[in-house]
Amino acid sequence: MHFLYFDPSIGAMIVQAVVAAVAGVVLFSKSFMFKIKSFLGLVKNDDDLFDDIDVKDSDIENNKAGDK
Amino acid sequence: MTSNKRHPSSFRDPSGYVFKDQNVFKRVINPIYFRQYRSLKDSGFFKKLFQNKLLISHTEDQSNDSEIVIVPEHIPFITYPYEWSFLQYKEAALLTLKIQKYALEHGYSLKDASAFNVTFHNSQAIFIDTLSFDFYIEDQPWRAYKQFIAHFLGPLLLAQYHGTQSLKLLSSFIDGMPMRQLASMLPFKTKLNPFLYSNVHLLAKFEENYNDDYEGNIKQTKLSKKAQLNIIKSLYDFIKKMSLKEQSEWGDYYSKTNYSDTAFKTKSEVINRWVNSIKPKTLIDIGGNDGTFVRLLNNELEQALVCDIDNNAVDCNYKITKTNNEAYMLPFVLDILNPSANIGFNNEERTSFLNRIEEYAPDITLALAVIHHITLSGNVTFDMSAEFFANFSRNLIIEFPKPDDSWALRLLNTKGEFRNHFDFYNEENFEKAYLKKFYLVEKIDIPNSKRVMYSFKRK
Repeated sequence: MHFLYFDPSIGAMIVQAVVAAVAGVVLFSKSFMFKIKSFLGLVKNDDDLFDDIDVKDSDIENNKAGDK
Repeated sequence: MTSNKRHPSSFRDPSGYVFKDQNVFKRVINPIYFRQYRSLKDSGFFKKLFQNKLLISHTEDQSNDSEIVIVPEHIPFITYPYEWSFLQYKEAALLTLKIQKYALEHGYSLKDASAFNVTFHNSQAIFIDTLSFDFYIEDQPWRAYKQFIAHFLGPLLLAQYHGTQSLKLLSSFIDGMPMRQLASMLPFKTKLNPFLYSNVHLLAKFEENYNDDYEGNIKQTKLSKKAQLNIIKSLYDFIKKMSLKEQSEWGDYYSKTNYSDTAFKTKSEVINRWVNSIKPKTLIDIGGNDGTFVRLLNNELEQALVCDIDNNAVDCNYKITKTNNEAYMLPFVLDILNPSANIGFNNEERTSFLNRIEEYAPDITLALAVIHHITLSGNVTFDMSAEFFANFSRNLIIEFPKPDDSWALRLLNTKGEFRNHFDFYNEENFEKAYLKKFYLVEKIDIPNSKRVMYSFKRK
């Protein structure tokens, strides 16, 4: 159950299908480019201030998430 | 039933509310949210977020049929989105996305993505709205998607294209940037970028088109979990790569000062001696730049609030803070001439800087090389600034650049024909005004400079 205490905007709910499709293409092409670049040895290791998106999990829970 | 008065900012979400019990913030959970809360607790979801320092930790205080009360870890000073530097804003956005991805993978979803759900604690962004999680409903799009764009991506994009002043927009738009305005403010080239076109321009268009639809079609829209994860991941990748054009100025500050090395050293020795005699636990440095002087202190502090009007200086400070893991440092953006006001419903939802700092009551205030800006750029009289500092400082260490100091002179020269109006800017008048509010502890002329240091104690 959701508590509708703010308006998520119907338009914003519908548009997510398009946004997700674009995101899928962008992510795919990025990982494709990354593979080519690493094959050619062009990948630079930037020293990042911020981590990547994944939360550090224990192995057990990683498996659980993978099972879903 | 808990009889305590709910905090004025805590009314939007019916799941519960925050109240203050003898100076301790506690959170009441209403029965309507029991199922979610117990699931989040029993599945170890909360614990995992605590361990990874993504969500503020809490302990359960009491639990009965009508309410559960939790006590979150105390955060001594809350900063709001419009007080964050670019890097801090970025980190808050990334944190929200990271949490949403983790939530989705474990059967939950963030029901809102307000930037006010995040603050800074122990040198990192942390999520503070424990009741923002709900069960993920299969194939439902992210309800908080628009809110995320309006609160995070919008201001960040505007900062990138139009400068960091745009990060203050949430002080006017407490519910986030209006989509249409955001879209109209972005340059045309953003329409050619598929990511920006879909996430901003198309979103604005869709929102407008469906504005009059009251049929509740919301239930019919579907989006697979994988598709939603793609949105989250692409937002994360994009925001993580965002940077400011102005960034090259970093680290250049102290080469621009008019201090000789010996004067700089004397100044820092004087400050250290005074600070050590007070032994403060908490400190605020108004105009603290990138935190250089606070880092030169050899007194151990519990917390140092270091603010500056310059977003880049705060960014620079935050970068050092994060890299060195300096948990005691809390950098944020502050314009003394226009500090954050009380905003929101009843003007009570978000507290003004002055209210927060008065409550925090730092043991000591440093105001180094700011008085000439306040007085000469801001036209604020000495009486007014003395009153301002006296509001929250028990001890005040303040640096006064004499009228013939090169920086003060530069500011005076910009006054043109009104320059004589600023003849009052001298040591004598400064002391006269400040001694109405403070006792003078010590005064030291910094050799080889045109600056004087004062240590004051509030009357």
